[in-house]
Amino acid sequence: MSGWRGLIVPVVLLLLGEAAFRVFGYVGDTLAPPSAIFRGFAEAIGDGTMVTTTLQTFATVLGGTVIGAAFGLVVGCALGFWNLLYRFTYITIECLRPIPSVALLPLSLMIFGFGYKMEIAIVGFATAWPFLILTYSAISQVEPRLLEVAKVFGFGPVGTAWKLVLPAAAPRLMTALRLCIGIALVVAVTSEIVSNPQGLGHELMIAQETLRPHRMLAYLVLVGLIGWGLNNLLLWLQTRMFRHRGEVDTEVAA
Amino acid sequence: MRRGFNFPGLAFLQGLVGLALFVWVWHLIVASGAVPRAFLPSPEATWNAFVRGVTIGDMREQLLGTVLRMINGWLLASLVGIALGSAIGISETLRNYLRPTLAFARALPASAVVPVAIALVGLTPGMVLGVIVFGSIWPTLLATVQGFAMVDPRLVEVSRALHLSRFDFIWKIGLPNAVPDIITGMRLSLTVALILAIVGEMLAGQEGLGKAILLAARMFRAPDLYAGIVLLGLVGLVSSYGLLLVERRVARWRR
Amino acid sequence: MSGKSGSVVIEFRDVGLYLGGKEITQNVEFNVRKGEFVCVIGASGCGKTTLLRLVSGLYQPTTGSVHVDGKKVDGPSRDVAIVFQDYSRALLPWRTAAGNVSLALEAIGMPRAERADRIHALLGKVGLAQHAAKYPSQLSGGMQQRLQIARSLAQGASILLMDEPFGALDAMTRQSLQDEVLELAADTGATVLFVTHDLEEALYLGDRVVALYSNPGRIARIVDIPLTRPRNQLSTREEPDFLHLRRELFGLMEEIHA
Repeated sequence: MSGWRGLIVPVVLLLLGEAAFRVFGYVGDTLAPPSAIFRGFAEAIGDGTMVTTTLQTFATVLGGTVIGAAFGLVVGCALGFWNLLYRFTYITIECLRPIPSVALLPLSLMIFGFGYKMEIAIVGFATAWPFLILTYSAISQVEPRLLEVAKVFGFGPVGTAWKLVLPAAAPRLMTALRLCIGIALVVAVTSEIVSNPQGLGHELMIAQETLRPHRMLAYLVLVGLIGWGLNNLLLWLQTRMFRHRGEVDTEVAA
Repeated sequence: MRRGFNFPGLAFLQGLVGLALFVWVWHLIVASGAVPRAFLPSPEATWNAFVRGVTIGDMREQLLGTVLRMINGWLLASLVGIALGSAIGISETLRNYLRPTLAFARALPASAVVPVAIALVGLTPGMVLGVIVFGSIWPTLLATVQGFAMVDPRLVEVSRALHLSRFDFIWKIGLPNAVPDIITGMRLSLTVALILAIVGEMLAGQEGLGKAILLAARMFRAPDLYAGIVLLGLVGLVSSYGLLLVERRVARWRR
Repeated sequence: MSGKSGSVVIEFRDVGLYLGGKEITQNVEFNVRKGEFVCVIGASGCGKTTLLRLVSGLYQPTTGSVHVDGKKVDGPSRDVAIVFQDYSRALLPWRTAAGNVSLALEAIGMPRAERADRIHALLGKVGLAQHAAKYPSQLSGGMQQRLQIARSLAQGASILLMDEPFGALDAMTRQSLQDEVLELAADTGATVLFVTHDLEEALYLGDRVVALYSNPGRIARIVDIPLTRPRNQLSTREEPDFLHLRRELFGLMEEIHA
């Protein structure tokens, strides 16, 4: 692994940024040098806001993903098992799915007001569709041979689902979960930036409005690190869990 | 991934029946009074608001504003994304240097750069466009990189055995190999562009459907709000399926 | 066609190759003469495909050297064409049959105006004239392999390397392709180095058979095949020499696999 080469670009960018501020002596309220961003990190950790807001966003991401994934899993399984149900619902699903989640922000705000509920509802909506579609496609692509095996052994529908179909679809479901957590983070931060006064997104907005660029950029870096870290963590988990099957699909576009 | 719209006539009819059932259940729920009308207007009220908005209201201008904002940003993002992605995909050295930086940039929720963009250029149309471009560039860029980088090693050997020049390899093997990936990426980028166009309108007060639904919600005009959401859903549906068709046409050799 | 008296065109001089710290081939030494049809057999993992890659210049030997027409191989040459086993991966899926053949003509810089006739002739030679406008995914396995052969002929190479080209095909298709390849080789006078794991195929096609041991790949035996040409799927396989050689090499193959 030639990892060191990948570090050159970020390090050079950081040094250039720092040097630019030192040389031109820029002091303003829109940008801050890397050294100040580190200070912003220290400040925000010191006064506890960084931990609180991170936990708020995490709670939303988790809550929303659990609700969305549960819905997607149940409906996706149902559609995968009963083709007739799929035929009667697919147009409706294809019509609801492309609704941009942010378009529901005003609605959710109107119904729930500020707080966790409105944000979790939107995250749930945004994650439900990809999870549903990926569950459905994972199940409908289960090797037909396995279903014949199930018939030979005389399993009922529940036994077939539990012993054969879900385990067979598991690697793809894990991919779906990873994608959905990524989507959930994006949607949560977006809701917080646009309206909901809590979490990392709101803190970013506050830092900008109170003209504290070092803090704003610290939060921006934090949000990026969280997104990057979560994705890598789940990817690592996925590889560990399904390594023996040799079928971890890392690049499913949803 | 193949899904939907593969069935011939009967299934399509069944699908439409399903949709009609959905609207009917929606109607029943509202009629039963189980949900306050302020939160869930009836389908009829939504339809009326939609017709009013499109005929005598401002909905057409708002739609145009949102769609233009989305398409402009998307086209710019596609142009830059394909150009950069090709360069990175062709050169393994460049890939090695940029991999972590790209991974980080991709993982960054695009809306998180909105405050930074506001700090830099203020609440201007340029800011919104910039955010759309920044946010929607990643799917196209990364898909292009992947398309160029993931040429089957056997084809690399074939081109070596045939003594293809580097230019010929890129033009005759790399690019055709990347085209389906690029279009898939552009389709995902368009979805992101729509979301960011709406976010931009909401935050910067630019004329468009995003701002319109925000105002409708503030004034508790539920039918207008729902009409706006439906229209935005249609924009998403049409743009996504349009590109899906292009994708299938261009990649017809994949059968 | 007994080209055995011709000049040497491929020489393996004490060739050894390490890939990723593993010894793939060891002390491989043999020659192929002009117009000769030489088959290489061995168990999987004996490095038979590696030998082809060394001749085509896709790999460089760690020790010793490979020479083609007296010159040391240091990279791919247009005079050496290669037909891969996995035809579906070796064809450009986005180009039609005609387009795939055209790629080789473009590579040798043939002007566009001359290509169409040449493509038509080449596709005709492998029996694909009617399928020129089809994409590889629309062709059967046998047809895809024929297309790959047409593409390698288009290159105008005098040396043809074939890497288990019929391994993935059914028995009937395989037999007719065997005869077609023999015919093409006789027509063009090409020198063929043909890798297979099928002993009977090797005996049926070859002027000589090189049998390899595995891990690392090294020469077990080189056998002349004195069967008359043209060969025939029925009578050749019933010739006493064929049966005798089959029995003899079968024992060797068992030993190799052990």
